[in-house]
Amino acid sequence: MTQTLTLLGIESSCDDTAAAVVRSGADGALILSSFVWGQTALHADFGGVVPEIAARAHAERVDLCVERALAEADLSLSDLDGIAVTAGPGLIGGVMSGVMCAKGLAAATGLPLIGVNHLAGHALTPRLTDNLAFPYLMLLVSGGHCQFLIVHGTDRFERIGGTIDDAPGEAFDKTAKLLALPQPGGPHVEREARAGDPRRFPMPRPLMDRPGCDMSFSGLKTALLRARDSVIAEKGGLTVADRADLCAAFQLAVCDILVGKSHRALDNYLALRPAVPAFAVAGGVAANGPVRAALSALCDEHQTRFTAPPLSLCTDNAAMIAYAGVERLLLGLVDDMRLAARPRWPLDPAAPALLGSGKKGAKA
Amino acid sequence: MLAFDTSAAHCAVALLCGERIVSSVALMAVGQAEELIPALEDLLTQEGLVWRDLDALAVGTGPGNFTGIRIGVAAARGLALGLGIQAIGVSGFEAAAFGLPRPLTVTLPALRRQIYAQRLHEDRADAPEVTDGMAEAMSAEALVTAIVRIAAKRVGQDLPRPAPLYVRAADAVPARDPAPTILP
Repeated sequence: MTQTLTLLGIESSCDDTAAAVVRSGADGALILSSFVWGQTALHADFGGVVPEIAARAHAERVDLCVERALAEADLSLSDLDGIAVTAGPGLIGGVMSGVMCAKGLAAATGLPLIGVNHLAGHALTPRLTDNLAFPYLMLLVSGGHCQFLIVHGTDRFERIGGTIDDAPGEAFDKTAKLLALPQPGGPHVEREARAGDPRRFPMPRPLMDRPGCDMSFSGLKTALLRARDSVIAEKGGLTVADRADLCAAFQLAVCDILVGKSHRALDNYLALRPAVPAFAVAGGVAANGPVRAALSALCDEHQTRFTAPPLSLCTDNAAMIAYAGVERLLLGLVDDMRLAARPRWPLDPAAPALLGSGKKGAKA
Repeated sequence: MLAFDTSAAHCAVALLCGERIVSSVALMAVGQAEELIPALEDLLTQEGLVWRDLDALAVGTGPGNFTGIRIGVAAARGLALGLGIQAIGVSGFEAAAFGLPRPLTVTLPALRRQIYAQRLHEDRADAPEVTDGMAEAMSAEALVTAIVRIAAKRVGQDLPRPAPLYVRAADAVPARDPAPTILP
């Protein structure tokens, strides 16, 4: 018998405060509401997300988002079976606000509290949207993360590679900034690139000659800056055509790296002989048209199903947290009131650290 | 009414039942986020109460440790929503001035040999500020006791939800690198 479960999800790990209600039953899971309150305008003057500004906003918005999500789902707290909250990784001030509000709600209602890894939320989204069976291959590619995961189960993720420096989403944002385009940079760089010639400015493809699925994007940023500065030195500025060519060159390089490394990741994954092979991509960069098209074509060559959740579920949201909460609750993975907010929380504790070390532990 | 404060290196909780106040203070530099709710539950249990017995909540809004005041405020707002009761924010200035004749200027310790200062009048308060100086902190027990007493008088008033009182602006510097000129 399949139980019907209705969960509230709360997400506040970066610059979006979000709450959502998800109901799962015999026919799969349904998003009853998903509300995201972004902070782009608050950070616009600073060229990136400022942790203290983000934390201040989250502390006063989480409960309002929860009320909004419940109202949109036309439910009250007494209709819920549990409260799921992002407990990390992310900007700790924001994560803490979400966790404390969730604890308050759980204590007050007696509902189970479920701490969810933000990355697990992204990585389980293809099950919410497409009902994918384990194991599937996942490319998580956003402003803060870039990793290949083989998802074996609700709580078992095998990381087979990832970025050793910047995340591609961050590189898109920095590219936009260097080229006087608005933030968040991804959609603007993509639009400019359509009119550009990707061959005019050569860009590096780091680590492509090395085996394995690790990636690097920081050199790409430097190459873009050098190419830009050489044009500016010559003309005193950039023309719209120069900018389009720079965007196209950058985007093609990112695309080539992701596709080249996805090819290797697929080889690793397909060696497991999954019954229904599937490759899912999630995270903000999964919204990029050319990246999506190239990965989809790669999957066709490998007779592997390709899925990418809709944009609203690729970027940060709370529906994925509520859904991950459903899966954890079904397995009895419930937390108590001592649940800690964690700035760093690798999904695969067994994989060697790619980023970060020391007292705080591995970042990825 | 249940009150709590995590604005400094403590987790202070107090329960007001009629005229009687019971409180409990644990000193801790870190870990308030983990300890706060269990400390509140312990206090309720000790008094033979459950969450549903509460009529209102009170929380210290600082100034103080930024993370600490967010922990308290976020928990208060979550509890208030979950219980369907009011949460009332009380600042450290108001708590320090509790029972004293006004107008008066309250000073509270800040970091790096600075103080938070606010002038409180009978029915209003000037904007708080940060200046150089030294000030003595209230004991956590006196603080949380004053918070619960002040909030008790405000129950039922139309008040905004508790919000942290930072006094200092967020430490952020506008981006320096100018964007390139886009030529026609």
